[in-house]
Order: sequence, then structure tokens, then C-alpha cells
Amino acid sequence: MLDEPYRWLEAVNNRRDYIEDQLRGGSPVVGLRYDDGLLLVTIGRGQRKIFEVHDRIALSAIGHSADIERLRMMATDTASVQGFQSSVDDVTLHRLTNFVLGPTIKQSFEAIFGSAYIIKMLLAELGARGEGDGFIALNYDGTVQSNQDREVIGGTHEAETAMQNYLSAADASESSLTTALQLALETWVVGWELGVQETDADSDEEANEGAELTMDKERLHGVLRDELQAGEIEGAVLETSRRSNNKFRLLTLAEIDAAIADWL
Amino acid sequence: MTNHKGNFLDLLKAHDCQTQLDLPATASNGTSPPIQETEGTTVLAVRYKDGVLIGGDRRATAGNVVMYDRAEKLLQIDEHSVLAIAGSPAMAYEMARVLEHSFQYFRRSQLQELSIEGKLRTLSRLIRENLPMTLQGIGGVIPIYAIYDLQNDDKNGGKIFFYDALGAHFESADFATSGSGSVWIRGVLFYQNRWGDKPLADMDEQEATVTVLRLLDAAAEYDSATSGYNPKSNIYPTVKTITKDGIQDLSVDRLQEIYAESVETTYAR
Repeated sequence: MLDEPYRWLEAVNNRRDYIEDQLRGGSPVVGLRYDDGLLLVTIGRGQRKIFEVHDRIALSAIGHSADIERLRMMATDTASVQGFQSSVDDVTLHRLTNFVLGPTIKQSFEAIFGSAYIIKMLLAELGARGEGDGFIALNYDGTVQSNQDREVIGGTHEAETAMQNYLSAADASESSLTTALQLALETWVVGWELGVQETDADSDEEANEGAELTMDKERLHGVLRDELQAGEIEGAVLETSRRSNNKFRLLTLAEIDAAIADWL
Repeated sequence: MTNHKGNFLDLLKAHDCQTQLDLPATASNGTSPPIQETEGTTVLAVRYKDGVLIGGDRRATAGNVVMYDRAEKLLQIDEHSVLAIAGSPAMAYEMARVLEHSFQYFRRSQLQELSIEGKLRTLSRLIRENLPMTLQGIGGVIPIYAIYDLQNDDKNGGKIFFYDALGAHFESADFATSGSGSVWIRGVLFYQNRWGDKPLADMDEQEATVTVLRLLDAAAEYDSATSGYNPKSNIYPTVKTITKDGIQDLSVDRLQEIYAESVETTYAR
């Protein structure tokens, strides 16, 4: 029956619903540019979610942990082999997402008799010589979206829109790490709250409403406090001033504490 | 997808990608090597107060020809380790590159740093695999590997390892030397460490640097393949420190200062 075009579309749409259902409730990841590079932040529950892929590339994801692991290894292997074969300068995020990860995800998404990747990825790259910094978000269907200053992934489309709206009111690109981390955590709460809620058809409108509601910072900090009972803040930076070819490092406890000290 | 358990060499094989170390040794009639090989020369490492101080001359020779006077023989492998190479630069640079990528690949894929023992074994394997070349009298590399052990640094985490041509590694308590000029300075280091003003382990950065620069000068005096300070082009040996805080190059200005003060001077006659 699947040789009929309509059936095929239907099957793909079913698959879309299924994957979105699985992703709902995933802990969002927020990517921001700050004054010394790029920052990725999330709140996790034991499982690590932010990874070093190469000297200037970091990866984070929400979804099924086995799928995350498979694609993370694919990205790491490809980048490592390419960096060794020619030069680490030839490893770029654009090549990784558009030639390797994107097509792989799309192929399994559309192969409707096989299993699809249950995943959304957010990758960051620190460009050489201060140019070409940026984020790329990869959706479960293989589509790619990029932004130089900020990008988010969340459990639902509505959550992502709300986080984007929250971020568009602020600009962290000249901020210190602490300030950028605070903004990222507030944004995480905005996305987290919407991500776990059931959504209706006209949800974009609701997301905007939600964003306005959540602008109350006191309340955001309160939700964050509650979430930190069970979860842990996880953050990493690609740091321009780092004295090594390898720009990735995880945030230290002290750096995280400095950001949330006033809210606890 | 195969799981390579963090082993970079296996990953390369799975991707049909060779290192230059994999290239087959050329057929040899067992006599002299068919070409004059470029060789690097004197390197030494000493354990001083804050970690390891490591120095190397800058000359690369092929037979009696000076190939290059700005060779870098101290190669940073990761944030706390340096490979000091003596022997064939072609093989040594490739070994250093393989090491650097291997350690990074392990950390990135396995989400933890490779242990010091694991790092030493990786280097052993590379040297062992290079043995056919070494036996032909071409492409041999006998490095020193210096590392700062962050897990174990209550007193001094500096560690120095040296290798033989078969890939066995030995830890040295105080110092190690390698290269054609090393024969001239190994005994001096022993003497200095045992009967000098103070043992190497008590020296500060300044004192250890003076010792290392003087010894490189001594090696250059007797070994034609080792260069000392070259005043015409202002080329100094390279010196690096490996401490808890990472790896630091001594600047040319600093070397210049120490040279003028403590190396160029001799006894007044």
C-alpha cells in the first residue's frame, strides 16, 4: 500500500507525530554567543548532554540516548579522521552537518520501514580569526538551521519559539560568561515549562502568550530553583582566549555557582 | 557503526586511512641506507622544583649537511605533555601527530582523559611498529616523553620517560637525554645532580634553564650535528616547562638574558 504517494506521506506524517511525542519533555539546550566565545547550557539528570567533537566544535542533543550516542560518535569519528588526514583547519561544522549528519538523519527519517533517529541536535563552532562563529540546529528530519548569535533546541516547536522570543529581547554577545549563563538559564526555564505542557493546534499564539507570562524573572528563578532539586546545570564553552588549539571546556562548578548564587 | 573503543589507530584503519608510519620499509641490502637521512640531535629533560624542564637544540642534519637551523624538537602533545624527539624528523613528527590525535580522540569519544599508562603504551606501540625502519638504519626515533601527572602531584607531578628502539619505556627519576649529542652531557647531568651545588629536583626555573642551556652548549661543542646559540641569525635552543598550570615556552628575550648572564661567561683568565 505504501507505493501510493498518499500513503507514503501519511506514513511520514505519522512518523513525525511519533518522534515529536518522544521528544516532548526533553530538556532544552540554549546556545549563546558571549564576549569570549560560545556557550551551551542545559539542565540534565545524570546523563551528559554536551560534548566536545573537535578543537572548535561542540555538540549537544535531546532525544533517545542511544541515538545521541550513535550520531555523536559519527560526528567525532568523521571530524577526527578528517582532521588527521589533512588538517584540523579543514574540519568545519558546515561540512559536518550538511554532508554527514543532515543526510544521515534525513535518510533514516524517510526510510519508513526502518527506525528513525529520535533526536534534535544543537552544534556550535568557534570560527578561526574571529569569523564564522555560530550555531547550527539539526532537526529530526535532517533540516538544518543556523544562526550566528543564538540558537535553541527544545521538546516542542512551541517551546523553541518561546525561547527564541525570550532571547530576542536580550543580546549577550558583549556580556561576560556569568551574565550570558544567567540569560541562558532563564531561557531554559521558558522552554522547559512549555515543553512539558500539552499543546493545542494554534500553539504559536500560545507560545507568545507564554513568553509574556514568563518574563517575570522572579518566577523564572523560582522554577529553576525547583528544577535544581533533581537536575544539574551542565554547561560548556568554546573559549576564544583558551591557550590551546582545543577551545572546548566544560564549565566549572565555581562558574555555575557564580551565576545562580543570587537566585538560590 | 563500529565501536573503536577510543583507539584512534583502529579508527584510521576502519576508514582506510594510513599514517606515514604505516608505509612499508624499503627493500634494503643490509648495507648503508640508500639516502642521507635528515636527523635531529640533542634533547634533554630534567625534573626541577615545579615539574619538568625540557630543552632541545634547533639543528637538523643529513649526513654532514645542515638541513635546517630552526627545527622544533619539543612537540607539545597535549596540555600537560611534550615529546622531545631525536632521530628522524619525518617519523618523529608523524609519531607526535598520531599521538596528539590519539589522545584527543580517546578523550572526545570515551569522555575521559587517557591515563598516563595508556599514553605511554600508545607511544610504545608506535616505536615498536617503526622497528623495521629503524633496523634498516633509517627512520629511527628515540624520543623522551615528559608529562605532568595531575592526579599525583602532592609534591611534584613531573615525570620523564625514555624509550629504547624496541618501544620499551623507562621512567627516569631525575633526567633523561637523547640524540647524538646526548653522550656528552649525560655524565655531566649525573655529576651535577649528585655533587653539584644542589640536586636538579631542588632547582628553580632559572637554575634549571641555566643548566640545560649550558649542557646544550656543551653538546654543540663536541657534536657537529647539534647547534648551540647562533648569533648571526639570533637562533636559540628551545626550552619548555611542564607544570601543574600547563606548558610554557621560555621566550627568546628570557633565553637571551640567561644566555648573556650565565652561558656565555667563562672563568676570568
